Amino acid sequence: MTEPLQWARHHWQRLIYGANGDDDERPYNYSSLLPCGGKSSQTSKLAGKHRVVVPHLQPFKDEYEKFSGTYVNNRIRTTKYTLLNFVPRNLFEQFHRAANLYFLFLVVLNWVPLVEAFQKEITMLPLVVVLAIIAIKDGLEDYRKYKIDKLINNLITKVYSRKERKYMDRCWKDVTVGDFIRLSCNEVIPADMVLLFSTDPDGICHIETSGLDGESNLKQRQVVRGYAEQDSEVDPEKFSSRIECESPNNDLNRFRGFLEHSDKERVGLSKENLLLRGCTIRNTEAVVGIVVYAGHETKAMLNNSGPRYKRSKLERRANTDVLWCVLLLIVMCFTGALGHGIWLSRYENILFFNIPETDGHVISPVLAGFYMFWTMIILLQVLIPISLYVSIEIVKLGQIYFIQSDVDFYNERTDSTVQCRTLNITEDLGQIQHLFSDKTGTLTENKMVFRRCSVAGFDYCHEENAKRLETYQDAVSEDEDFTDTPSGSLNNMAKLRVHSCRTVHNGPLGSKPSNHLAGSCLAVGSGEGTSEVPHSRQAAFSSPIETDVVPDTRLLDKFSQITPQLFTPSDDEMAQDPLLETLYIIDFFIALAICNTVVVSAPNQPRQKLRLSSLSGMPIKSLEEIKNIFQRLSVRRSSSPSLASGKESPSGVPSAFVSRLSLFSRMKLASPVEEEVSQINESPEGSNDSTCHKEIEKELSDRGLTNGKVESLHGQPLASNLCYEAESPDEAALVYAARAYQCTLRSRTPEQIVVDFAALGPLTFQLLHILPFDSVRKRMSVVVRHPLSNQVVVYTKGADSVIMELLSVASPDGASVEKQQMIIREKTQRHLDDYAKRGLRTLCIAKKVMSDIEYAEWLKNHFLAETSIDNREELLLESAMRLENKLSLLGATGIEDRLQEGVPESIEALQKAGIKIWMLTGDKQETAINIAYACKLLEPDDKLFILNTQSKDGCEMLMSTILQELQKKNHQESSEQASLNEDLCQLPTSQDSGMRAGLIITGGTLEFALQESLQRQFLELTAWCQAVVCCRATPLQKSEVVKLVRNHLRVMTLAIGDGANDVSMIQVADIGIGISGQEGMQAVMASDFAISQFKHLSKLLLVHGHWCYTRLSNMILYFFYKNVAYVNLLFWYQFFCGFAGTSMTDYWVLIFFNLLFTSAPPVIYGVLEKDVSAETLMLLPELYKSGQKSEAYLPLTFWITLLDAFYQSLVCFFVPYYTYQGSDIDIFTFGNPLNTAALFIILLHLVIESKSLTWIHMLVIVGSILSYFLFALTFGAVCVTCNPPSNPYWIMQEHMLDPVFYLVCVLTTCVALLPRFVYRALQGSLFPSPVLRAKHLDRLTPKERTEVLKQWREVGKMDQVTSKYADHSAAKLGRRPMSGHSNVFVMMSATSCAAEQGNISVCETDLDSDMPKTSGMAGSTKD
Amino acid sequence: MEMKLKDNLSRLPDNTAMKQQQLPACHFHFSATRILTAFFAIGALCLVMGIILILSSKSAKTIEINYTKICANCAKLQENAFNFDKECTCSIPFYLPEKMQGNVYMYYKLYGFYQNLHRYIRSRSDSQLLGIDIKNVEDCAPFEKSHNGTPIVPCGAIANSMFNDTIILSYNLNSAIHIKVPMLRSEITWWTDKYVKFQNPSSRNLSNAFAGSTKPLYWSKPAYELDEEDPGNNGFINDDFIVWMRTAAFPTFKKFYRRLNRIQHFTEGLPAGNYSFNITYITSFQGEKAVVLSTLTWDGGSGLFLGFAYTVTGAMTWLVLFSMIAAHLMLKKRKTFFLQQ
Repeated sequence: MTEPLQWARHHWQRLIYGANGDDDERPYNYSSLLPCGGKSSQTSKLAGKHRVVVPHLQPFKDEYEKFSGTYVNNRIRTTKYTLLNFVPRNLFEQFHRAANLYFLFLVVLNWVPLVEAFQKEITMLPLVVVLAIIAIKDGLEDYRKYKIDKLINNLITKVYSRKERKYMDRCWKDVTVGDFIRLSCNEVIPADMVLLFSTDPDGICHIETSGLDGESNLKQRQVVRGYAEQDSEVDPEKFSSRIECESPNNDLNRFRGFLEHSDKERVGLSKENLLLRGCTIRNTEAVVGIVVYAGHETKAMLNNSGPRYKRSKLERRANTDVLWCVLLLIVMCFTGALGHGIWLSRYENILFFNIPETDGHVISPVLAGFYMFWTMIILLQVLIPISLYVSIEIVKLGQIYFIQSDVDFYNERTDSTVQCRTLNITEDLGQIQHLFSDKTGTLTENKMVFRRCSVAGFDYCHEENAKRLETYQDAVSEDEDFTDTPSGSLNNMAKLRVHSCRTVHNGPLGSKPSNHLAGSCLAVGSGEGTSEVPHSRQAAFSSPIETDVVPDTRLLDKFSQITPQLFTPSDDEMAQDPLLETLYIIDFFIALAICNTVVVSAPNQPRQKLRLSSLSGMPIKSLEEIKNIFQRLSVRRSSSPSLASGKESPSGVPSAFVSRLSLFSRMKLASPVEEEVSQINESPEGSNDSTCHKEIEKELSDRGLTNGKVESLHGQPLASNLCYEAESPDEAALVYAARAYQCTLRSRTPEQIVVDFAALGPLTFQLLHILPFDSVRKRMSVVVRHPLSNQVVVYTKGADSVIMELLSVASPDGASVEKQQMIIREKTQRHLDDYAKRGLRTLCIAKKVMSDIEYAEWLKNHFLAETSIDNREELLLESAMRLENKLSLLGATGIEDRLQEGVPESIEALQKAGIKIWMLTGDKQETAINIAYACKLLEPDDKLFILNTQSKDGCEMLMSTILQELQKKNHQESSEQASLNEDLCQLPTSQDSGMRAGLIITGGTLEFALQESLQRQFLELTAWCQAVVCCRATPLQKSEVVKLVRNHLRVMTLAIGDGANDVSMIQVADIGIGISGQEGMQAVMASDFAISQFKHLSKLLLVHGHWCYTRLSNMILYFFYKNVAYVNLLFWYQFFCGFAGTSMTDYWVLIFFNLLFTSAPPVIYGVLEKDVSAETLMLLPELYKSGQKSEAYLPLTFWITLLDAFYQSLVCFFVPYYTYQGSDIDIFTFGNPLNTAALFIILLHLVIESKSLTWIHMLVIVGSILSYFLFALTFGAVCVTCNPPSNPYWIMQEHMLDPVFYLVCVLTTCVALLPRFVYRALQGSLFPSPVLRAKHLDRLTPKERTEVLKQWREVGKMDQVTSKYADHSAAKLGRRPMSGHSNVFVMMSATSCAAEQGNISVCETDLDSDMPKTSGMAGSTKD
Repeated sequence: MEMKLKDNLSRLPDNTAMKQQQLPACHFHFSATRILTAFFAIGALCLVMGIILILSSKSAKTIEINYTKICANCAKLQENAFNFDKECTCSIPFYLPEKMQGNVYMYYKLYGFYQNLHRYIRSRSDSQLLGIDIKNVEDCAPFEKSHNGTPIVPCGAIANSMFNDTIILSYNLNSAIHIKVPMLRSEITWWTDKYVKFQNPSSRNLSNAFAGSTKPLYWSKPAYELDEEDPGNNGFINDDFIVWMRTAAFPTFKKFYRRLNRIQHFTEGLPAGNYSFNITYITSFQGEKAVVLSTLTWDGGSGLFLGFAYTVTGAMTWLVLFSMIAAHLMLKKRKTFFLQQ
């Protein structure tokens, strides 16, 4: 399933890349468009590059031809080749490789008569074979792409046909620009189109972009202004406008253009009006749009990039050794040239055998030597292993195949397994030294679970909820299998491509006619079983663990006090304590429910159905009436004060901001500013209108409720049917928490929010304004008109540090309310600290009541800010500040982000494997530290250093203090420790000294540490630490940290993350791993490997990484060995033939020897070799260290291999030589035992090197030998005169009858392999490496194995203990606390302390005293 | 469709031994006993083989006589261009101390004659030698055609440089009676060479078949007159010619010349006594020439090397074996846990 996606993606990249070339027949050159996409948006620039789209209908035919005739249609061709251009184009691509060029050079060289070593045609063979293999591979790839393309091209969609005057089924490929397309719910959008109609009364349409960016939450799109107000569907016949928009580009977040009506009136278009190809229509019954970009010009296609090609460390290493081989080749050729020159000067005049040129003269020795140099290069070319690159590629494909088919990586819940997106760095997995991990979603589940809250200063710890969570682990795993749909599943796009339609056969959806389209409805997950659970279509962030919150009993009690009477007109005078608290509680939960951007939807139904269903409850008087109601609604909407929508955003606004705004508001394009302002000014007065409308609404929903089987008090059959689609999991968690307290968010439209409040009934809040969340303010606010008090209320939700500063400052002589606020504030702060220490994510909820006048005032200013062109952002920020101040604190929430299953074990294993793990998180320090303890990144008795300063000097001083401390300790412990002033690469690792330390650094301080002057010191410091935690780190910092470590320490780095904020880090690291979690697909898209859970990382690295690395490095070494050993036979022979470039082997045998007889075994070896079993590798993570140190392929290993190859070739040549010396043997008869012996030596060498031999190995080796003999015999029997001068006729047959032949072969093989065999035997018994020792474990029974493992551990431990003991005896005994408590070194230099704002340092000391407790909680029982 | 759906629903990889890399494998385990046994067996085999080989090669008898110096006069004579065609005969007497039993073979041996040069070995025309088209001389450069343009038959450098000394062995019963040792020139080539690879052009008369061609530059007689005694041994299928055409692997090589015809005095081989070689010296080169008489053993007279090599290998293996036993015993004392077997 993953493969088609990869092929397709790969191709797209090539396509785009290829388009930069010239030989593309498509009319558009994307490269010219891309810069346009990247440029800052300036409307003037647009004019030159734009496209005009007119309807593709009869009346406009001429115009259409004129404008849109040349635009590509929706047929996609992701294949690179056609039948015709396959050969030339493929060859062209292949000769981009240096290796291929080298061999081409050799072929050409062989055509020079003076230099010719082989028959001219024969040298071409290896090259042709290699090229053919690659070409076949490319061809097959391309064919698969072709099939996928065909599938996609032939998907069906509904296109308006003028002839039939209705929408007709048409294939995707036949869709052209200007076509009208009608899509139903859950259908996939075939091309980029402008939305002209939606069945949604508000003119909204929801799309799921998971196929594009993997984000499973819904995005809103909006009908072009002017069309939304139309009641009936857009009639393509009457559509006479034309659309002008920018030329195709790959910017998903931008679309600009306008729609020009026939009366020259222009309506602006933005990305809110654009439906993107590949997305799915959700929650909207039907939409109609006009295609503007089709086929390859769609944004989705322009955005696709194929798998990346990285070069692995091992390959770089191999490449240098290839260069060594080149050098060796040159030396050998030079020797040959020199030898020939000398020989010739001795035998110059012997015309018997030193035959002259055709014209009778003899070439001078010098010239002959020069020619001979080139001849030798041709003769000995095999020294540079041509097949190495091909074999490596094949081996890696095999390795990837095995990684992807590992059952252990399969995640049932998401139905996903590991994805290898970069095909050629598998072996790097075995050499990782530093691991950088994101926290949220990577180590933790990113399932935000509401854990605790504090309202009005009272902490509600939700113990029942905690208990539920504890028991959840087991229960949920089975449960979730059914309830969780693969909302985050990886390959929706791929699924679509292979036409796997997951139509649902049950329930309302299945019966819906709109669902007929095959291949479009993917995410509908209730297919399993017959909908036992109400969640049939699961939204993001809504697994049961997140949605089911067990209310706290104390809080419920307080809830029971809530009655509608609280809000009787007299409630203003309410000041008594209990009642005030109740009000706080009400406000708190209302804030939880409405202060967000959650989209409410009922499962399987378009969103607006919710309202319609309540309508349908009452006897429908007439359709007209309903329409009237809605028309009134839309009138309201046009005068909506929701200003956030603003205008078509001028260029300065960052698109992210715009997109956030636009999520819940629609663009009012180019609407006159004044008009709207005036409307807003009216709006307070116009409240009559709104209340009236509210009443209708209330009535409707009341009816709906009664009809829909009234919500019961405790179970909520109806409420639980609601789905919340949130942008962030925190939001959803809070909404679900509110729902648990009968405060259910029922619906949300841009104008109003309906909340069911248990005792109060449905409340409809008029939504006045939303100030969306941004990372600068770290908060969001909603401004609503409270339905009960009719006041304008601001609810703000945000990070505690921010909110606390915005609270209204109580004057000491203030009223009791203010005093109470102070108390609440203090208490809440305490609770917040407590939450943070427990690793909970905290949020503060606050509110503010505004008078209408105040609000109007603010609104006016805000509006000015919004409409201003310069400094818009700053003004908006200021405006927000004006609103969000003098808040009164309602309470705080603690949300738990639970650790993923198996994370502590994985981290422990990875640390044992010698991998240094850094945790980079945006979370606050306390949360980060606690998670670090919980996931065993930090051990309870680790030393902890916290770097948290506000100045660069402070940072420097702090670091040097810590370093000194460490150094002192270290010197005490081992005086011989390498000094720190040595090169960074040889920094001592703290493992050696047996001391563990952890470093915590905050974002601000990291900023200083990353500066050039402090980098070195920082790295020195981190080298001492087992684990480093960077908290409050920005995405940019994350990538800078990775870059720093990677470049300065020259280590192999791996970055793992799940969210968009990890993308930069993932891209910088040597290996990027994406977790396909809940936060969308960006991380996966940027990654080299994608896994579904963190725990899979340990097997990926420890087992597959180890295997891939050892396999490939052994195979590469074997390749070098094989080629050198074989080619040297030819070289040695030169000493006996006057360096004349004679080969004693038949050329065909020579070539087939590498291509056929000895090519398959190393490949099999590279794919299947298993030095240690997976179980043992998992049990003994220490074995991973061999890969880190590149033990399998050190420079020394290479030279030893070459030496062995030289030895073996010497034996293989000289044993037969001395045997046949002075006899009547002829050249090619002499070559035969050489070849045969070489074959046996080379194959048996592999057998000795293999740690395990399966039947496949046997088959291949025996097959190779048989094929050799078969070939030699057939060749010898058939070839009488062919292939001069070698004349292999009957040689093999003759030899097979000759006992000497066998004697020679056996002796040669024995003598050649004896040293290696002895070495391996001795290594196995005298000085076994850990890997060899571990291999021994595999053969034991499980019982014995545990026994031996225990012994092993003890030995290891004993070593450690003795070293520790020595350390201790040297140092002061007992200084190190043995109680298992951590000692936290909070070092604050005087300057830094001065620089600190009191708050934080308090926090630090606090932490210090508390640490033992928390660490005790997380600590392991180590025995 | 239903089936397909089900398949697509799960991306669960197959749980087979092959895909999970759990195939049963034969692990090479270097346990002490196994290794020691293996080494012992290899060593023993090698030793036995070596001794057998040494013994058998000792039984072979060989006598080699270098006639370069003895016939130096002839060589000198030839250096003079005027005497190029002149025949020069020299006689080399020698004493055979022991009789050579069984089949005795006569070889000529050349020292420093590079028959293995790249361009030399390429300079032949196989299709010509097969008798298919004697005018096909394209591969024979630079000896393809004579000055007047007629193709050379047999063409090429190899054929051109053919060994053309005539060696006659005579048995000197006493100073007066010199018996010419009867020699056969047949069956000194590979059967396949004589009957498959080399064929005369199909014509009743060889000289007719070779009409329109020239003899090689250095040859004194055309190819169809190589063997005056046996008309069936002429042209391309002449045994001496075939032997020469199989180019030697090393610059020092010997080639079959004749084999003893075991009649009269020589039914049991060559009796001990005085012999002499009468050599008609034709050409010289920088290297040396010798004539070799030898009997063959089952191993093709491979000489002592193979036997010694086997013996040494066997001895080395046993040496390694003993040192390993010693190491193993030491290890056992150390009680390293994994070496228990």
